[in-house]
Amino acid sequence: MKVPLSWLREFVEVAAEPARLAEDLTLAGLAVDAVLSHGGETVFDLDITTNRVDCMNVYGVAREVSVLYGLPLKPLDLSFEETGRPAGEGLSVAIEAPDLCPRFCGRVLDVRLGPSPSWLRDRLEAVGVRAINNVVDLTNYVMLEMGHPSHAFDLAKLPEGRLTVRWAKEGERLQTLDGVERRLSSGVGVVAGPEAALALAGIMGGASSEVSETTKTVALEAAYWEPLAIRRGAKSLALHTEASHRFERGADPEAPPLATARLAHLLQKLGAGSTRPGIIDEVAAARPRRSLWFRPARAESLLGTRVPEARWQAILSGLGFALGAREGEGLRIEVPSWRGDISREPDVIEEIARHHGLDKVGATLPPAATAGGLQPGQRLERALREALVGAGLTEVISLAIVSEDEAQAGPGPRLPLENPLADVQGVLRASLVVPGLLACLRDNLRHGRRDLRIFELGRVFRGELARPTEEKRLGVLLTGLARPPHWSEAKRAADFFDVKGLVELIFRRLGLGSFELDRQDLPGFLHPGKSALLSWNGLRLGYLGVLHPDLGARFELREETAAIELNLEPILEAAPPAPRFAALPRFPAAARDLSVLCSQDLDAGTLEGWIQTAAGPLLAQVTVSDRYDRPPVPEGQVSLTLSLRYQHPERTLTSQEVQDSVEAIVTALRSRGAEIRGE
Amino acid sequence: MGNTLEQLREQVRGLRAGFESGLAEARDASGLQGLRDRFLGRKAGAVTALLKTLAGLAEEARREAGQELNQLKAEMESRLQDAKAGIEARLLAARLSRERVDLSLPGRPAGWGRKHPLTAVREELEDIFLAMGYEVYDGPEVEDDFHCFEALNLPPDHPARDMQDTFYLAGKASLLRTHTSSGQIRYLLSNPHPPEVRIICPGKVFRRDNDITHSPMFQQVEGLVVGAHITLGDLKGTLEAFLRRLFGPQFPVRFRSSFFPYTEPSVEVDLGCVVCGGGGCRVCKGTGWLEILGSGMVHPAVFEAVNARLGRPVYDPETISGFAFGLGIERVAMVRHSVDDIRLFYENDLRFLEQLGG
Repeated sequence: MKVPLSWLREFVEVAAEPARLAEDLTLAGLAVDAVLSHGGETVFDLDITTNRVDCMNVYGVAREVSVLYGLPLKPLDLSFEETGRPAGEGLSVAIEAPDLCPRFCGRVLDVRLGPSPSWLRDRLEAVGVRAINNVVDLTNYVMLEMGHPSHAFDLAKLPEGRLTVRWAKEGERLQTLDGVERRLSSGVGVVAGPEAALALAGIMGGASSEVSETTKTVALEAAYWEPLAIRRGAKSLALHTEASHRFERGADPEAPPLATARLAHLLQKLGAGSTRPGIIDEVAAARPRRSLWFRPARAESLLGTRVPEARWQAILSGLGFALGAREGEGLRIEVPSWRGDISREPDVIEEIARHHGLDKVGATLPPAATAGGLQPGQRLERALREALVGAGLTEVISLAIVSEDEAQAGPGPRLPLENPLADVQGVLRASLVVPGLLACLRDNLRHGRRDLRIFELGRVFRGELARPTEEKRLGVLLTGLARPPHWSEAKRAADFFDVKGLVELIFRRLGLGSFELDRQDLPGFLHPGKSALLSWNGLRLGYLGVLHPDLGARFELREETAAIELNLEPILEAAPPAPRFAALPRFPAAARDLSVLCSQDLDAGTLEGWIQTAAGPLLAQVTVSDRYDRPPVPEGQVSLTLSLRYQHPERTLTSQEVQDSVEAIVTALRSRGAEIRGE
Repeated sequence: MGNTLEQLREQVRGLRAGFESGLAEARDASGLQGLRDRFLGRKAGAVTALLKTLAGLAEEARREAGQELNQLKAEMESRLQDAKAGIEARLLAARLSRERVDLSLPGRPAGWGRKHPLTAVREELEDIFLAMGYEVYDGPEVEDDFHCFEALNLPPDHPARDMQDTFYLAGKASLLRTHTSSGQIRYLLSNPHPPEVRIICPGKVFRRDNDITHSPMFQQVEGLVVGAHITLGDLKGTLEAFLRRLFGPQFPVRFRSSFFPYTEPSVEVDLGCVVCGGGGCRVCKGTGWLEILGSGMVHPAVFEAVNARLGRPVYDPETISGFAFGLGIERVAMVRHSVDDIRLFYENDLRFLEQLGG
């Protein structure tokens, strides 16, 4: 909202530099976005918060300025002479809907329609309002000056001179001043003649009764409209005007007669017409001033600073509050009619604080009554992220709202939004990998990026629309080279064992123990041979492995892509205990290698199991240290080297003991069809 | 074979000279070994041979000659050791001078992973408040009307509830939270130590907006402190301390009155522009100030809504008070890294993430 300095000075003789004034207003809650210059005139561009409708006009800002600088606020000149036949003879008003219109004021003006004088046109122009004719300009001028919108009807065009305030009939039609023919619903208020609607209540006038060059007599309307009624009406019509903007935020219920008087005064001053005797003032629902209990001690305890009594009294009085006598710890104060935003004691305290100056409130730190810190699960989440970053993965954050079309390729459910922003963002994600990380991969591939190692920690949404459940998950995606290329190393593409290694890293770093992999009920978007479902403590957490080529193709991926998606909730809740120390071995271990040729269908894990069983208790560890399946290894066969480590906690092993165990293993493996190629 | 002491001494001189010239010629370990064999070898060593001749000397002379020969032997041993060390050092130096890497070749990649820049900022914010004794509380992203609006003194028909702002799930029974303030309500309702509260709620929030300064999803950190005698002065002190930690003590902080439905008084917190230092620039729109935090004293209506839901007056606005604040994580990251399009944070272009990632 724009306020010219000269207009402001009509009501308060402020001498402060414009920049100083702008800063003081800003700190007091009336943010000045810019100090503009318009034809040599200083104009403040204010961003008024929605609660301060009383400051969406020059006089309201002047009141704030008067309190800020302790200057007198001049009253609005409301004087004018009444001439001619009584207003009531030509105009009558009936309020049929008190829930729409608590108060309606009308006056009858005899006007000489014409252009406004240049000073008035300039002023309107300085605040960005187009001049039309003197009558319309005056309604705008009064609104900008004292905040109350009014509307001028051509009285000759009002059937029988009768106005009725009512809710529109469903389907009723009205052509508004902007030339639009509107079909109204019953939630919209209208000012009507005996039959048809003439104007949209508090929003916009109608074309049929518009003031024009032939207008001689004006029926002037200044009403107080119920804020919610105007807000709903404006919303249902998708019509936002200067008038509706003010009414829906709560205008001043005492302003209607004042607005008509101010307009009558200005009309006379302009020599553009005269006002007939009498005001029509229909009050369907009185809006008495609110009174509040205010305790200065409460202000001190909330602010942490004591504001001197004379100071808060001056602030409140200057803002229009009427202060009662002190009764014990407090006093009753009456809230001015234009301050619909003040309804409780803290509202009053805020008024004092912002005018006293927030800079005068001393900065302190609150005493701590509780101990803070991260919860165990939150620490685990941080550790998980650090581990993945340390392992060379880059964290991404994707939108939780995804394209329904792209989400089709992944698991459900796809919970739809009522009001998506665009068609491509229609549903809540049920997976981090599909489509989120895959889309991220595709977009980066388009930038010429071939190798990606990314992860995301975020929530997916499942269950019912009415109350979806949120699940915190980890998603990982690898494609291209497993490591950034280096001149010293052979290049290697990322594969299943990279993601398995990451899962092993996570489980080790978070102290989760072991996990199980199986291929039961693999979802269709995974490679049937190179992926697995992961379980931990009997709970299925998710999957890891290579994505199905069909899925890759949907996202324009050419190379094999490996992924992990795990539900973190059970892990973060479990908060595994700190590991317990096991005494370090005091006696040397004995190592042996065993080279085995067996069928490719045999899992290394099965082989290890046989070895463990046959070896007896001295075998501490068995690991696959080499694997080879190309010639000279026969087709369908695989050569595995297993490293065995023997250990006794209380003594050094004899070579005979170890040899006996190895021979037992060899015998067992041979009996199961494996061929021992060397030991 | 009778040798006099004089003759023997003459021979020692000869041996010493021979050893010295042999030592000067020895180039490597085997040369030294040859020299050792020649003079000190058990079988054919010249010194060894000479020692055997001592038997023919008189007792007095024998002792004297023995001493001299042993001294010669020790001298030779020591000289051989030194020469050996010298040769080894030369060999090592020669080898090291050949072992020279090309310093300009690229190093082997390590630790090339990156945290998302918003995560880096979020953890930094969390750490500042954790150090001040706060807890981190994590509320749901899908909310209901009560927690997101009603309990926060945002009654029906409030402008902030407009369809264009809030994403609703189909059927409109649930919505995506438009601010992390809903976390305040969740915590107040489930507070393990009522009425004391000292939390921050970082998290994702959603609004129906998509342009250079708005992403439909973004991240906020909400803070809430509740207890007896919590004041506006505490709000000021806390947020000043926070901003000094985050941006450094050289930037001024100012507090100006504002409006939020769930706080009263409401205070907007500005930071002296970290880009231009307060002179005015594009980032601060020429004002010299950056709007960085919204805050205020908790509105009694918030406590009352929570009390009503709990069915008992756990948070009596007459005896306790609190302050709340909120800030955008992207805002901090954008100011810090001079990023002018918020959407870059969610496009996940690796070129962007690798530039800024933590």
